[in-house]
Amino acid sequence: SRIEINQTGTTLYYQPGLLYGGSLEHDCSPSRGIGYYLESLLCLAPFMKHPLKIVLRGVTNDQVDPSVDVLKATALPLLKKFGIDGESLEIKINRRGMPPKGGGEIVFSCPVRKVLQPVQFTDPGKIKRIRGTAYSVRVSPQMANRMVESARGILNKFLPDIYIYTDHMKGVSSGKSPGFGMCLTAETINGTILSAELASNPQGQGEAVLPEELGQSCAKLLLEEVYRGGCVDSTNQSLALLLMTLGQRDVSKVLLGPLSPYTIEFLRHLRSFFQIMFKIETKTTEEEHTGGEKVLMTCVGIGFHNLSKTIR
Amino acid sequence: MEEKEKKKHRAKHSGPKAEKKRKRYLNDLGIGDEENARKRNPKAFTVQSAVRMARTFHRTQDLKTKKHHIPVVDRTPLEPPPVVVVVVGPPKVGKSTVIKCLIKNFTRQKLVEIRGPVTIVSGKKRRLTIIECGCDINTMIDLAKVADLVLMLIDASFGFEMETFEFLNICQVHGFPKIMGVLTHLDTFKNNKQLKKTKKKLKHRFWTEVYPGAKLFYLSGMVHGEYQKQEVHNLGRFISVMKFRPLTWQTSHPYVLADRCVFFSLFFILSIDCTLIKMFGVGDFTVSDVSFLPDPCALPEQQKKRSLNEKEKLEEVRPNHELVQSLISTHSAIDVKMASSKVSLFMDSKPLGSEDVGQEFVMPKEERQVDLKTGRVRRKAVFEDDEKENEASDEEDDQEEEDDEEAVSEDGSEGDDENDAEEESERVLLREGIAVRRAKRLKTEVAQEEAVNELPAFADSDDDLEMSSEEGETAPEDSEMEEDEEEEEEEEGDVQRTCKDESSDSEFEAPNKRAESKKAVLTTDSGNCTAEEASESEDENSSLEEGDDEGGSHEELEAEESNRNGFQHSQAKKADSVRQTKVKTVDTEDDDVENLLREKEEYEEEIDLSVDTTGALKWKEDLTQKAAEAFLRQQRSTPNLRKLVYGTAVEDEDQESEDADDELGGLFRVSRPDTASKQKANALDCSKFLVEKPQDWDLEEVMNSIRDCFVTGKWEDDKDVTLLKIIHLYGDFEDLETGVVHKGKAAAGGEQEEDEETTKPEPEEEKKKKERMDKKRKLKEMFDAEYDEGDATYFDDLKEEMHKQAQLNRAEFEDQDDETRVQYEGFRPGMYVRIEIENVPCEFVMNFDPHYPIILGGLGNSEGNVGYVQLRLKKHRWYKKILKTRDPLILSLGWRRFQTIPMFYIEDHNGRHRLLKYTPQHMHCGAAFWGPITPQGTGFLAVQSVSGTTPDFRIAATGVVLDLDKSITIVKKLKLTGYPFKIFKNTCFIKGMFNSQLEVAKFEGAAIRSVSGIRGQIKKALRAPVGAFRATFEDKLLMSDIVFVRTWYPVSIPTFYNPVTSLLKPAGEKDSWSGMKTTGQLRYERGIKLKQNKDSLYKPIVREKRHFNKLHIPKALQKALPFKNKPKNLEKKGKTPKDQWRPAVIREPHEKKISALLSALSTVNNYKIKKAKVKHREQLKEYLKVKQKEDEQKFKRQKEAKKKVYRILGQREKKRQKSSLKGSSKGEKSV
Repeated sequence: SRIEINQTGTTLYYQPGLLYGGSLEHDCSPSRGIGYYLESLLCLAPFMKHPLKIVLRGVTNDQVDPSVDVLKATALPLLKKFGIDGESLEIKINRRGMPPKGGGEIVFSCPVRKVLQPVQFTDPGKIKRIRGTAYSVRVSPQMANRMVESARGILNKFLPDIYIYTDHMKGVSSGKSPGFGMCLTAETINGTILSAELASNPQGQGEAVLPEELGQSCAKLLLEEVYRGGCVDSTNQSLALLLMTLGQRDVSKVLLGPLSPYTIEFLRHLRSFFQIMFKIETKTTEEEHTGGEKVLMTCVGIGFHNLSKTIR
Repeated sequence: MEEKEKKKHRAKHSGPKAEKKRKRYLNDLGIGDEENARKRNPKAFTVQSAVRMARTFHRTQDLKTKKHHIPVVDRTPLEPPPVVVVVVGPPKVGKSTVIKCLIKNFTRQKLVEIRGPVTIVSGKKRRLTIIECGCDINTMIDLAKVADLVLMLIDASFGFEMETFEFLNICQVHGFPKIMGVLTHLDTFKNNKQLKKTKKKLKHRFWTEVYPGAKLFYLSGMVHGEYQKQEVHNLGRFISVMKFRPLTWQTSHPYVLADRCVFFSLFFILSIDCTLIKMFGVGDFTVSDVSFLPDPCALPEQQKKRSLNEKEKLEEVRPNHELVQSLISTHSAIDVKMASSKVSLFMDSKPLGSEDVGQEFVMPKEERQVDLKTGRVRRKAVFEDDEKENEASDEEDDQEEEDDEEAVSEDGSEGDDENDAEEESERVLLREGIAVRRAKRLKTEVAQEEAVNELPAFADSDDDLEMSSEEGETAPEDSEMEEDEEEEEEEEGDVQRTCKDESSDSEFEAPNKRAESKKAVLTTDSGNCTAEEASESEDENSSLEEGDDEGGSHEELEAEESNRNGFQHSQAKKADSVRQTKVKTVDTEDDDVENLLREKEEYEEEIDLSVDTTGALKWKEDLTQKAAEAFLRQQRSTPNLRKLVYGTAVEDEDQESEDADDELGGLFRVSRPDTASKQKANALDCSKFLVEKPQDWDLEEVMNSIRDCFVTGKWEDDKDVTLLKIIHLYGDFEDLETGVVHKGKAAAGGEQEEDEETTKPEPEEEKKKKERMDKKRKLKEMFDAEYDEGDATYFDDLKEEMHKQAQLNRAEFEDQDDETRVQYEGFRPGMYVRIEIENVPCEFVMNFDPHYPIILGGLGNSEGNVGYVQLRLKKHRWYKKILKTRDPLILSLGWRRFQTIPMFYIEDHNGRHRLLKYTPQHMHCGAAFWGPITPQGTGFLAVQSVSGTTPDFRIAATGVVLDLDKSITIVKKLKLTGYPFKIFKNTCFIKGMFNSQLEVAKFEGAAIRSVSGIRGQIKKALRAPVGAFRATFEDKLLMSDIVFVRTWYPVSIPTFYNPVTSLLKPAGEKDSWSGMKTTGQLRYERGIKLKQNKDSLYKPIVREKRHFNKLHIPKALQKALPFKNKPKNLEKKGKTPKDQWRPAVIREPHEKKISALLSALSTVNNYKIKKAKVKHREQLKEYLKVKQKEDEQKFKRQKEAKKKVYRILGQREKKRQKSSLKGSSKGEKSV
């Protein structure tokens, strides 16, 4: 890799080299969640020279970035669809850390692939179960149960198969700041996973939130996500599109909910980096009761090969 | 008599008939054939041994799986790219002849000179691009990389030559395309047996190289300088039905075969969508622009024709590789007249039509574009002779078309004659093909064409037509004028043109052109064509005028466009042989032109695709149409997301984008391309999609909106598998929860229902029927899936999957037009594209040689970088030398050919990469070099030099890329020596190995060894002398010992990477590229002797005679020794002194007598004694004999006596035993 800073010091030119991988550790800044770092790692990890195993420390759940729980529940199954699977693909949460101080720790490991498979992922299927985690650190363990109660109250109107785990961390594994939150995932019969999450306000910022309220609004967020629909939940749209782009020179299709602004920006980046354009078709569902408009994204992969991987 | 002469019937003993008879006979006998053996005698076929059975099964299975290839997705589009056929072989083997014959076979046209690739349409779905490959190793390497099929020509009279094997090896490295051998020169064999033998021998050798059973063609004898028609036909058939398996490298790396290069734009057959390009033999460039063009050699399919008749085939013969190649059409009657002279004329590729001219270069020489349209050229030629006539006829045209036609034909013939005469003088000029001239002519053509093309865009219909007619009439002469016009036009309307200075260029050329046009060699055909054109245009004119009074309405415009197209088309076709053939029959076909016109209009739609000859220019001419289309599309399409995301055409259609925003509502408001993105740049970078206006999920209707997203919701009928099953099993049922009634297809009351249904309107029934069918199908699929599951192997599944993907790939974008398709999926293979490349060295254009193919290879994303690459390499077994580390080597890797400095290494068992000075003879070794990053698993080959020819095999090494690792460390062994200066017991101090304490510290604990093999360890540095240290050994060292430590020193790989730019060399020297020289070569050239280390010179071994000291035994020991071992120190008698010499005795005569007598007596006595001794010995012998006899007898006697005694003794014993037994038994009984 090459790093150049011009004479006046106003521009930085960075040309990445090969991705090496291996075992790493990194302390993330507590101003952003680990999810922020993890998202970009998810994009890069399959193309390393050696399988990546990284320990990240920082804020596991916050209000801004997708939490580690959500990524674990949604992004990993998504990677599997592209042929990146194996025992070593996992995210393990050792400690939870809430903002502002953090103190959480996760281990992310990912195998290496030479090429990705194209996907045809156009039928989301119907939601068969809802799972979730309600976590609480450095607060009363009762908080989690209260959140679960209220969330179930809303979701039960749609589906009986709901199970929300309560996860109360103690001692070292509870990080440095108190907080609680919840993330919910809805899994369809075709393996699509939609997610929603909410976390309490960080200590000392904003007013206190009632766990019941949080549970309810989180459940409603999930319903909103279900309304948006698609085969990939809104957080991971860009990841799915990236992996499609980096696939073989075959047609990949994926049905998404409405494109998030981030995804739209991402699509523009994809075009400027890879000269690839997606065929974007809006699908209105004939039936009324399946949520809002969907977008069918189609592209031909650029035939990307992992040049770092060694062959013997 | 007659009867006697009749042949007797001979029953067949072999062959199918005999076989049949035998079978019948056996059947009659009831024995049956072998097939029934199993039935007859089942026991003989039972399992004898389970183990053997298992083994045979295993083996057959092994053999079966061995035949499998990994299934790959077939990514060739519906309309496949031309098959690249490379004809290789040593010189003088008949390559060009084969190509010519093939072309003739497919097109019925004769091509006399081959100057580069020729593309022909060989069938409805197949085009062939035939390229001849010379013996230059650069060309061979390049073409092996892009070939689909290799025709390997072998001179049977000579046998295999090095080129053949070299090419085969190159192919092996770069993905092994299909290879077909062709044996030529078979007519040189006079002896049939010899011929047969040679064929067999060559065939088997070929098979070992390619694969057993590879096809080898025999082209026996030549007829009139061509191969036999039938044989060529067969060869052609084989080629046109051949199937190809996609080659991995080629499918993952696009490439483009250039068929011409216009200054900076190149036209190709294959396509690309990457930005980085490698031009073989020139270097790496970034593409500045790619656009696709209508294919000049389109497949006939597109024209919706069933089959290719001969005529069409002819038409298709578009040698579209203009650069390179000119076509000869000898088909028209007119041509025939002047056939001989003409052919030579045409042979000289008439440079024609091409395009925008590069900006910087004004040197005409560089324009190498040669368009083949011979017709074009011909047309020009007409002017000189026929101008006046033309003009005149034009006037007449309006009234008398027929006359015109005739006149034209007359003109033609006249022209011919004149031309003939003219040609004689011109030909020389032409032959020489002065580049300048060519270029100019080219220019004029361009100008003309463009004038035509641009017209509709700028002018009213009337103007347009006038112009065109004008052009038709006076084109060549007035070209200047036209150009002026064109200039104006250009200025008027600057359509999105890439190149605007064309006009200036044409200006530049204008003065010359006049002169040229006069000189131009013209053929009568062209005369015809112009005339025809003129009439056509007139036609159009009149019709148009009739139809529409004024231009301006949209319809009219379109009509005009079509007309224009038609016009162009016809113009274009002038060149074509079809046209020529038509011309032949001009007299009979008066309304030819009209027909043509009508046809054109019918094909209006297709024309833009199929218009062929104008080739390169086409892309421009469609601009207006395209623009219109694009506009329409935009109008039509509802505000779409695509626009939102990619912001196409945002500038001029603000309105629309606003609309889009409105329509899309709250969902998409955020993402306005312009303003929003700017704001976004400073916004928080977060992938979460926040809900801005959450809906109230407590409301029933809102809840209902997603009700069906859950399994508890309503299912679509065809998807509800469980429901289907239930219905299938039980017929109708009513869902009690929801109250929905589900009906089976054949319920109890079905008949009644059906009766009722019949009265109902039909569509309902139809619908129901359809539903039923759907259900049925679903069920069947389910059943099939379950039932077949066990049967399908993994391989089958994989294959099926790949097949599905391939189908999807083809189908996905099928319905879209090319422009959008290109945006989505890039340029498909088989498209005809125009690529602009900037900063190409001018030598490339200046030294262009059409015989050398120009191939552009596309590179992947990171493949443009240069870095360290590790290879597994093996010296080729046929290469005579071994390769030396640090000698420059030319590698062909991926698309590239380049020179670099490899370092050879071998991996030790502990993972250390140890540098090798030379490659091993028969073993693989590693190599690392600095060069372009290429994906792992890519094959490569190495040559030491690409210049000149050697009788030896040229490929030095082959191998594969293993890794692209910057951190590779290659080490070489470094031994540091030291000398002991103080020795204790097992410890000693050693100096001379290191230079400082620090160095020693670094090596503390390292293992050291003495030359005599005593091992030890470095302990600690000493204070003085500097660099000395204490070391311990397993034994005591001697002062004379040398101690050494083995260390490993990392070697840096030289960063030398030099692309082979053979195409930049001047024509004729392209095979003489030489890059960096090896030190050996340099020394040889400059006569520098290597300075040798004296110590490493070999000297004759001289063995000194060893001198040993005497053995010294102490006196005390001597005394103790027994006498035997005591050293007998008898000194040698020295010379006795003279005084001690004894005097000699001299006898008296008397004494002499006495002694003589005495000696005589003693002799006698001796004799007597001897005699007595002999006698005594004999007596003794006799006596011994007698004695032996006596002894024997005595022994005999004694033996007999003994026998007697023993017998008696034995009998006695027996008796005694018997009696004793009796006694005992008695005794027992008594007991």
